[in-house]
Amino acid sequence: MDLTITRQNLHQGLAAVSASIPTKTTLPVLSNILIDAQEGGVWMTGTDLDVAVRIRVPAEVTVSGTLTAPGKKLQEIARELPDQPVKILARGDQLELRCGRSVFKLNGLPSEDFPSLPQIRFEEGWTVTGKHLQRLIHHTSFAVSTEESRPILNGVLWELRDGRMRMVATNGHRLARMAVPAGGTTATSADFIVPPAALQQVQRLFKTDDTLDVARDGNHLGFKASGTEVFTRLIEGTFPNYEQVIPKDNDKMAIVQKASLEAAVRRMAIVASDQTHRVRLLFGKNTVHLSVLTPDLGEGEDELELHYEGDELEIGFNANYLLEVLRYIPTDEVKLTFKAPERATIVEPVTTGDEDLDYLCLVMPLRLLD
Amino acid sequence: MSRRIQILPDSVVNQIAAGEVVERPASVVKELVENALDAGATVVRVQVDGGGKGRIRVSDDGGGMGRQDALLCLDRHATSKIAEAADLARVASFGFRGEALSSIAAVSRLTLETREADAEAGTSLRAEGGRIVSVQDFSRRAGTTVEVRNLFFNAPARRKFLRSEAAETRAVSEVLVALALANPRVATSLSSKDRTLLDLPPAEDVATRVAQIWGEEEALSLLPVAGEEKDLSLRGLIQRPDAARPGFRRAYLFVNGRPFRSPAILRATDRGYRTTTSAGQRPWVFLYFGVRGPAVDVNVHPAKLEVRFRDQALVEALVERGVQEALSLPASSATLDSHPAPARMAVREPGGGEGGPPAPRRDRPPGPAAAAEDSQMALFMPGAPEAAGREEGEEGGDEAAVPMGVADTGRPRLWQVHDTYILAETRDGLLIIDQHAAHERILFQRLMTAFREGGQSGQRLLFPVTLRLPPAELAQISELRGLLARAGFEVEEFGGDTVILQSVPAPHPYFDAERCFREMIRELTEGSPLVRSANNQYERIAMTFACKGAVKAGQRLSRDEISELFDSLFATDLPYHDVHGRPTIVRLSKAELERKFGRH
Repeated sequence: MDLTITRQNLHQGLAAVSASIPTKTTLPVLSNILIDAQEGGVWMTGTDLDVAVRIRVPAEVTVSGTLTAPGKKLQEIARELPDQPVKILARGDQLELRCGRSVFKLNGLPSEDFPSLPQIRFEEGWTVTGKHLQRLIHHTSFAVSTEESRPILNGVLWELRDGRMRMVATNGHRLARMAVPAGGTTATSADFIVPPAALQQVQRLFKTDDTLDVARDGNHLGFKASGTEVFTRLIEGTFPNYEQVIPKDNDKMAIVQKASLEAAVRRMAIVASDQTHRVRLLFGKNTVHLSVLTPDLGEGEDELELHYEGDELEIGFNANYLLEVLRYIPTDEVKLTFKAPERATIVEPVTTGDEDLDYLCLVMPLRLLD
Repeated sequence: MSRRIQILPDSVVNQIAAGEVVERPASVVKELVENALDAGATVVRVQVDGGGKGRIRVSDDGGGMGRQDALLCLDRHATSKIAEAADLARVASFGFRGEALSSIAAVSRLTLETREADAEAGTSLRAEGGRIVSVQDFSRRAGTTVEVRNLFFNAPARRKFLRSEAAETRAVSEVLVALALANPRVATSLSSKDRTLLDLPPAEDVATRVAQIWGEEEALSLLPVAGEEKDLSLRGLIQRPDAARPGFRRAYLFVNGRPFRSPAILRATDRGYRTTTSAGQRPWVFLYFGVRGPAVDVNVHPAKLEVRFRDQALVEALVERGVQEALSLPASSATLDSHPAPARMAVREPGGGEGGPPAPRRDRPPGPAAAAEDSQMALFMPGAPEAAGREEGEEGGDEAAVPMGVADTGRPRLWQVHDTYILAETRDGLLIIDQHAAHERILFQRLMTAFREGGQSGQRLLFPVTLRLPPAELAQISELRGLLARAGFEVEEFGGDTVILQSVPAPHPYFDAERCFREMIRELTEGSPLVRSANNQYERIAMTFACKGAVKAGQRLSRDEISELFDSLFATDLPYHDVHGRPTIVRLSKAELERKFGRH
């Protein structure tokens, strides 16, 4: 291997890849990145076995070849180098890097030791726009579960349909669902359960004006746009039937300024219990009365004006769940609908005009005991 | 008609009294040693042969008696300790009835040798069956020696009830141990034939005496307790829960220096230990009550083994609270130190108050409250400036390695290791916290508090959990339904062997509600030491919930979670103990580290 690359290209490639390198690993080769020099460019790959990132940056390759080298060290070196062309050579398993008068030799590992990436045929997949994908990820992935007994809920359900795609995530206590139009899909319908770590890489590496190819191979899913690829293992299993738990008969409705509700709940949360974070909301004719009572600490009360129709209703929530959902609602006003104190509350944006926004969150209440 | 009722001769009366006071050699030893202590002895030596059935010899260096007193002392109700009825109410000495010596003499061959310090000669006196057979001058140093031979020689029926030599020797030893604990400053020894069974030099304090009797390790497992309430004071030593073992228990109670028995007070002790020990663990306790004035009546039991407190409830409350307070202090936590600071508990000065009103000598062990520990917060105060200054010549460079928590939050720096333990830097060492055990204590206290306030909110589930359970567990659920709901578990019967969990508590983000619930119900149904250690259904539910719901070992925690766990633990009443009788925290002192690294 023998190549010359600009410092900027080298650094850009390494920065993209090294974020996927695990910080602690029992498999030494995973702290390395794979460098694959081919005619006209160099591919760099990093992986933690769950998610892999592969990026191509332009380079002048005189002798092609592959090698692995310590990713973080290489990135730190690239950051500190002078702005001059960088020459990279393979000497056995050692990588030699020259730039101006700086010379580094880093011990690598044979490229055969590096995990092989899934062979994904992107031409048989779907195409999605970066803008839509980013929106879905942003508005849903926060709701995934951190608890590991139900691995399905540790992922985001991504439904691809003709002309439309949707993401859903839930931890069983609250749920977020968003759908967007998906122009130009070519393949059939598909459902994936994607680990949020992979979606984070997608968010980080692709731009909103990218057009992404997405394809599946067995248990793996690949994302690809302009020389950048993200691969991920999919979570296997059946996502719970979330449609069934979205209430159709919530007959009490509140419309409120998102910012003022958020502020009031945040104030209440200060005095709420560390464990349940319970706040109590009492909806009456055009007002909501918020209160918390925490043994050993004290209590707090607040009141807001809003638009509310329906019978008086008292309901408890984990303040964190409520705040989280409100944070992702993209409109100034928010609509909450209820059926009963023990049933799911729907939180939706209130759109003005003909904006197309298919977004819905569910928050399950905390049972009130008295 | 002839007269049938007659007054019994003294010899018979004494034999009858002996039946109450002198039951076995150990009771003889008790009476004689108490006399020695009342005479202000600093050394008491006891020898027994044949478990005391053959010979008992108790010698002291106390005040001794003059000839007249020596002759009188074998008479019934002859005593120097009280003079009139009013004195009974303020008895400060062990003996007072004047029964012991006459009773013992009535059923044995007794030799008494005694000399007052300023007398020219001592007296030696022999008695058989209570009758003095010889009196002569005798030369010895000041003090008294009583030798009792052929106990019950004239009461064969009673002699038959004596146990084996080994059993009687053991009983003598028990009696002496209790008195030695009550009087640590008095040198005490016991030998049987030529074998030394106890040899206790004068001890500074009770902990030292415990170490003399049972060894250093046992003494180091003890914590001081202290309390004060009206005319009542409590000092003592209790065992750290982590050192408590099942089986035989050492429990010694003293009131004004007098050993007594009280199952009720031991139960109060156990209430104080509640939730820090599991069923069957029996921590050792040594409790010394000081009572001023007439708050206690010691004259309710012939052998004075029981006492009556005027306000028993007050005594029990004092004990329970004292134990709880002791267990809430850092000293009650387990330690890695090879030389932990021993528990200090001062005891009364020998001799005590002289003259003046009958100031009860044993009412108030001197010395400050032994529990004057650093408060918890002081323990965690950021290190003193010189501690932060590091060693000379060392650059303050390595700041990047500082993991988390900065000193000015008032919280020590914290690290999670092996995803299981949390290390906390303290001013004088290191705390190693077991994250699961710590979280158990937190969840237990939270749920108990919540029960008092009505209950703990359950998080309603989007996807209710369906469970199929065996009949015994279903029965348990239907019995506990109300309490489970107040713990946050809302259970619906679905018919057959199926139940549905509609809401669950959510104590932390890694909580596996289904598993927690299944394990709780199984344990509640099948029973376990934990379940048995609970005092009521609330505790049973809270303990099993804490145990099954707490963050597991192996769970990586974020910095915020680590800090919250730490803060919440120290917000509980008993941060050093989990609900199984295991420690939540093991201490390692800086001094121990310095010892290990040979820094001094």
